[in-house]
Amino acid sequence: MARKRPSAPSEECHVNLIPLGKVDSLAVSIVAANLHTVLGLNADALPPIGNPDFAFLPLRNQYSAGKIIKMLETVNGSAKFKIGIVQCDLCTPILKFVFGESQLGGQAAVISLHRLWHGDPSRTYLRAAKIGIHEAVHLLGIGHCRAADCLMDGSLSTEKLDAIPLRFCRACQYEVSRRLRHAFGGPEELGT
Amino acid sequence: MSLSKRIMVVDDEEMICEALRGWLEKDGFRVDVTFSGQEALKRTEDSFFDIYLVDVKMPGMNGMELLTRLKEVQPEAIIIMMTAHGSIETAVEAMKRGAMDYLCKPFDPDELSLLMGRVMAHKALQEENIALKEQLVESHEGFFDVFIIHSDPMRNIFSTIDEVAKSSAPILITGETGVGKDMVARAIHLRSERSCGPFVAVNCGSVSESLLESELFGHEKGAFTGAIKARRGRLEMASNGTLFMDEVGEISPRMQVSLLRSLEDKSLVRVGGSKSIQSDFRLISATHRDLPALIREKQFREDFYYRINVITINIPPLRERQDDIPVLADHFLKRYTEETGKRLEGFTQRAISLLCSYSWPGNIRELRNVVERAVVIARGRMIGAEELTFLNPCADVASFGPITLEELELNHIRATLDSCNGNMVRASKQLGIDRSTLMRKMKRYNLFRT
Repeated sequence: MARKRPSAPSEECHVNLIPLGKVDSLAVSIVAANLHTVLGLNADALPPIGNPDFAFLPLRNQYSAGKIIKMLETVNGSAKFKIGIVQCDLCTPILKFVFGESQLGGQAAVISLHRLWHGDPSRTYLRAAKIGIHEAVHLLGIGHCRAADCLMDGSLSTEKLDAIPLRFCRACQYEVSRRLRHAFGGPEELGT
Repeated sequence: MSLSKRIMVVDDEEMICEALRGWLEKDGFRVDVTFSGQEALKRTEDSFFDIYLVDVKMPGMNGMELLTRLKEVQPEAIIIMMTAHGSIETAVEAMKRGAMDYLCKPFDPDELSLLMGRVMAHKALQEENIALKEQLVESHEGFFDVFIIHSDPMRNIFSTIDEVAKSSAPILITGETGVGKDMVARAIHLRSERSCGPFVAVNCGSVSESLLESELFGHEKGAFTGAIKARRGRLEMASNGTLFMDEVGEISPRMQVSLLRSLEDKSLVRVGGSKSIQSDFRLISATHRDLPALIREKQFREDFYYRINVITINIPPLRERQDDIPVLADHFLKRYTEETGKRLEGFTQRAISLLCSYSWPGNIRELRNVVERAVVIARGRMIGAEELTFLNPCADVASFGPITLEELELNHIRATLDSCNGNMVRASKQLGIDRSTLMRKMKRYNLFRT
């Protein structure tokens, strides 16, 4: 279900995109553009901050998504939501890897480009956009969805990610719109 | 989106608990976490959880012990074991103790998603199963209502049913046609431990011998012309349930031999097949025929008779239990008024008298049909004798055996008078005689007193 782009977007910044370490700047721009197109959220990319070495887990040779999210909470930014973007491989204590992680109904999320890479760059960027939107919606307090063609489906693999269109099921679309209005203002602004 | 099932995560590592909580809450579950087995058990005393995710290695009570204890207090609980140091032995042990699955930490994201999907499907089936069983019990209770209010002979029969239902001994139900032998067979099935299994009925008198063989034993593909695919027989279908063979007296001696073997071995071979198939069923047979007489005439095998006749239940005909007639009539009246949407309050006293005085050669089946027909043609709020004029006095008389012409005339005049509510003008017209002739006959038969 394609969303209508808000007719008079607010100048207010809703999301800070924060690259950690060396990250493809085009990917950051594309995630920002899609957050705006699909959710109507104004997303500003902040200057990159240092590599997330503090979150490195030697035993797993991966980076802790939880630790990065905790650090992002402390970053000074102009927006309500902060989404970190990393190039390294992320994991959680229970999952072997994650494409992204966020606080349900919280402030911070992180996405990783590591496992989204594809020979065709446009596919890589589209995957990054989908994960960025998925995690942003978690920040709105919306959980996973069991509908197979919804962007909020929790069982994501890259194959499935490619197959899912850049949209929500009807139920999630309704809930996303409602929560956006609640979080950021009137119906003309967001979530219409 | 919300599945609102309640999950308890039991792990001594807080980080794991919180990561699982975060992930599961995004999936719509309500999640509680505890850090020890003892605490988990304590929580189950005042809270209910649908699913438990339990770490195997914990200080104090370990996961395996908790699994056993949880299964004791909540057998239907879905328990998934988790460990960071997986071994096949532990996994097998966990499954033996009743765990639904076993996960090695960390999990693949898809693995956890698929597992939770499977768990939810399992839970849905479990709940559906419980709901269906409850419905089944309710429908059984409704079913038995028909019998609870019966006369002493029927009360005796149902106390016998209660006694024999739990065993697996073959039962032979005898009685005239239409007395409800099939209902008694169903009642036995529903009160037995096989009540959740199938109740498979076969009428042995309605099919030819060759068809009956295929019907009972099934057949393999190509066993005979027209056997285009393999088919299970009734004996096979009744496995873990009850096989009801109605009109067992119609089975040919040759077929009795085949059946005897299957009943003794609890196994069968499909027509055209060679493989022996095990089938554990309880046999209930029924007949309206006099089997000992058939044995004497060499039409029924004695060994087969003793095999099917471990317990005998004889259902008396309706005419021998007149107390049942008004109650059954009311029951059928209620059923058919509900079906037709008619508002009928009951039977008039004359109608009840007429029903009770009839001999009911067709027993309950005939009574049911009579009430159904009366409901269809009834105009008023009560069913009167005029709605029951189609009760067949000839059949009634014939059922009592040879009678004199005088007795026949008496019965016919009495029935006609009853159907006309004692109106002699209408009765004489119906009988095709003058009113004076009718009066003379009534005087002769002493009918004025009744």
